[in-house]
Amino acid sequence: MHIATLDTGAAQLALRWSALDERAEWEGFSRPLPGRTDLWESYLAIEGMHCAACSLTVEEVLQKLPGVENVQVNGASAVARVAWSPGQGRPSAWLAALQRAGYGALPAGDMLAAAPRIQAQRMMLWRWLVAGFCMMQVMMYAFPAYIAEPGDISSEAQGLLRWASWVLTLPVVLFSCWPFFSSALRDLRNRRVGMDVPVALGILIAFGASSAATFDPASRWGAEVWYDSVTMFVFFLLSGRLLEQRLRDRTAGSLEALMRSLPDGVERQGADGTFERVAVRRLVPGDLIRLLPGDVIPADGTVTAGESQVDEALLTGESTPLQRRVGSAVIAGSHNLNGMLLVRVERAGSETRYAAMVALMEQASVQKPRLARIADRIAGPFVLLVLLASVAAALWWWPSDPVHAISVAVAVLIVTCPCALSLATPAATLAAAGALARRGVLVRRLEALESCAMVDTVVFDKTGTLTEDRMAVTVSWTREGTPAAQALSLAAALALHSLHPLSRAIVQAAGPVSGSAVDVTEVPGQGLQGHVAVGAGGKPYPMRLGSAAFCGAPADAQAAGGPQVHLSDEQGWLASFEMDEALRPDAGPAVGALHVLGLQVQLLSGDLMAAVTRLAARAGIDKAYGQRTPEGKLAHVRELQQQGRRVAMVGDGMNDGPVLACADVSVAMGQAVPLAQAQSDFIVLGGQLAAVSALLQHARRTRAIVRQNLLWAALYNAVCVPLAILGFMPPWLAGLGMAASSLLVVLNSARLARMPG
Amino acid sequence: MDILFLLIPLSVGLALLIIVALAWAVWRGQFDSVEAEGERILRSD
Repeated sequence: MHIATLDTGAAQLALRWSALDERAEWEGFSRPLPGRTDLWESYLAIEGMHCAACSLTVEEVLQKLPGVENVQVNGASAVARVAWSPGQGRPSAWLAALQRAGYGALPAGDMLAAAPRIQAQRMMLWRWLVAGFCMMQVMMYAFPAYIAEPGDISSEAQGLLRWASWVLTLPVVLFSCWPFFSSALRDLRNRRVGMDVPVALGILIAFGASSAATFDPASRWGAEVWYDSVTMFVFFLLSGRLLEQRLRDRTAGSLEALMRSLPDGVERQGADGTFERVAVRRLVPGDLIRLLPGDVIPADGTVTAGESQVDEALLTGESTPLQRRVGSAVIAGSHNLNGMLLVRVERAGSETRYAAMVALMEQASVQKPRLARIADRIAGPFVLLVLLASVAAALWWWPSDPVHAISVAVAVLIVTCPCALSLATPAATLAAAGALARRGVLVRRLEALESCAMVDTVVFDKTGTLTEDRMAVTVSWTREGTPAAQALSLAAALALHSLHPLSRAIVQAAGPVSGSAVDVTEVPGQGLQGHVAVGAGGKPYPMRLGSAAFCGAPADAQAAGGPQVHLSDEQGWLASFEMDEALRPDAGPAVGALHVLGLQVQLLSGDLMAAVTRLAARAGIDKAYGQRTPEGKLAHVRELQQQGRRVAMVGDGMNDGPVLACADVSVAMGQAVPLAQAQSDFIVLGGQLAAVSALLQHARRTRAIVRQNLLWAALYNAVCVPLAILGFMPPWLAGLGMAASSLLVVLNSARLARMPG
Repeated sequence: MDILFLLIPLSVGLALLIIVALAWAVWRGQFDSVEAEGERILRSD
């Protein structure tokens, strides 16, 4: 018996694997090997690897298969890279061989995107290491100049030290700084001034003036060198960029790994009338498909035979399963719950309602309002002010000392180094993102933290976001003389035999089940019937669990409210249970916390108005809107935005995708469909709604710290520029000032790494 | 102090050599998963 089920399981797996042998499928996780026309390389994620020896075993298993040229297994990431020739090999054979060896495998198409990401990461790391190492060495050469009394160092020795510093600053400016230069160039070409423009300008001017002083000490550009300041500044900025890149790549990588899956297959009727399993992408309108309980419906169509309940929650937000019989329409992306259905496909692939929603989402994301970042907004005026100040300095000195005038102007340009200014935002947002990650909130876009502080309205989706993905028993009535707990226990004995959401809720509410049921049959659309025995040796009684008509429930038990399930025995009606969606335990406190922050909270759902208002009341939300299509939700949020509100949307389903894409800030729940997560700025793990208010609160703190940092940078410049113009700013003091202001900004931002509570 | 004129150029040369060594380490992938190397000691094999 046990072996038989194992066999059918393996046979089903083999059917799913066979879909991988189609070219359109394996191209999703393969690419042609450069330089070889006949060879491709494919990536597989291996499951069940525990040690270094495992990777050797996996390599051996795959190496022996026909068509496989070469296999490399990375033990740390558990990914195998297979070089093979499509003429001779079949990907399904690899999976079968691995299965026999005791390993699972999934196609890892995300590794194709990861390879260029790893290249970019290594490049950034190298730039950072070069800047850091050169900085340390340049500081050693600069040190004597800081401590020497006048006359201690001969001019030849000083020239030598400056030459050595110049040689080691060269790789920093030419190689490590390249990201700043290319981004500044891009900004200028687009006729805007971002933060990288003053950064690039500062680096170039300081390096140019120092080079002039090194090779021509009598130069009119000044006699001071700034190599230590330049390298340190570049190292600080690159540290920020490196951390930012790591954070972004780690989030992107873990999200993409979630999407690894076998191609979806479906049973389609062939020309001879038998059903065979084919890949979903091969379906065309007119095909007849067979859907078993638990299947995802792959295309839009009409039911031609069978009867079942269908869960469309992800697409429409409707919380209760819908009855579908012959002639009813079903939509792609919904779940078939409890009966077998034969469906005539009407629209497949890009024609389906599901695909239309993806298109709407992409269109909405283009129109998402983009807040100009604070730092970029002040970059333009900053550059203008610095240039004006240096011109003013030159004009001030020109009448009395024309030679000195130019060196003072250069000194002003250098002293107004944008170090603190350009570090202000990244240092703060990075520290905040680290703290949020430890709290269970993944930050996908760092910039969104700035928009997050401006939010004044939070809109929640209902099903799956405020509620858990299950029903809960809220009220029960029983016949005279039967305790509610006993009725629930009897009902659970029957309900154990069904996968229906309402049955699962009864089982969960009952706890440990004392009775056992035999001969249980499911009457489609009605309920369950069978014989229930109480205790170990009790006599089985016939009982029914299901709709009011099926169980002969009296009218007075049918109060208004959520869906109901009834129980009856030989003497007729025994009990009724009223269900409602299970609210997340921290939904009430989370909404309360948002109100305390002074935010307006709204509930926006595709479900029936009655269900939405009932749940809004339970969660403490005063504004609730029901029966909204994805387009309707989008229009609602757009309208709020036109009223000047900044909207944060919290959602999870496919139907929230478009509205998540257009909201100022979007938050997806951790168990959300991948497409909804792909549109979100933040992802809340573990389904804790309290994290949403914590996120908004922390974003406000982050904005306050960014403002403090910027204020400090402005103060530093306000003090230093007049001193430099008057010629009172010796280079060692300017260098120290720059280092101290950068350090202060970084330390001030580090306060964000801890979250209260 | 004439020895400085030998030592300082030597230190520059050494620094450039170390940069090349860092490049070798980075592009061989030694820093790709720093955490995994630390966890290796906890594995059973």
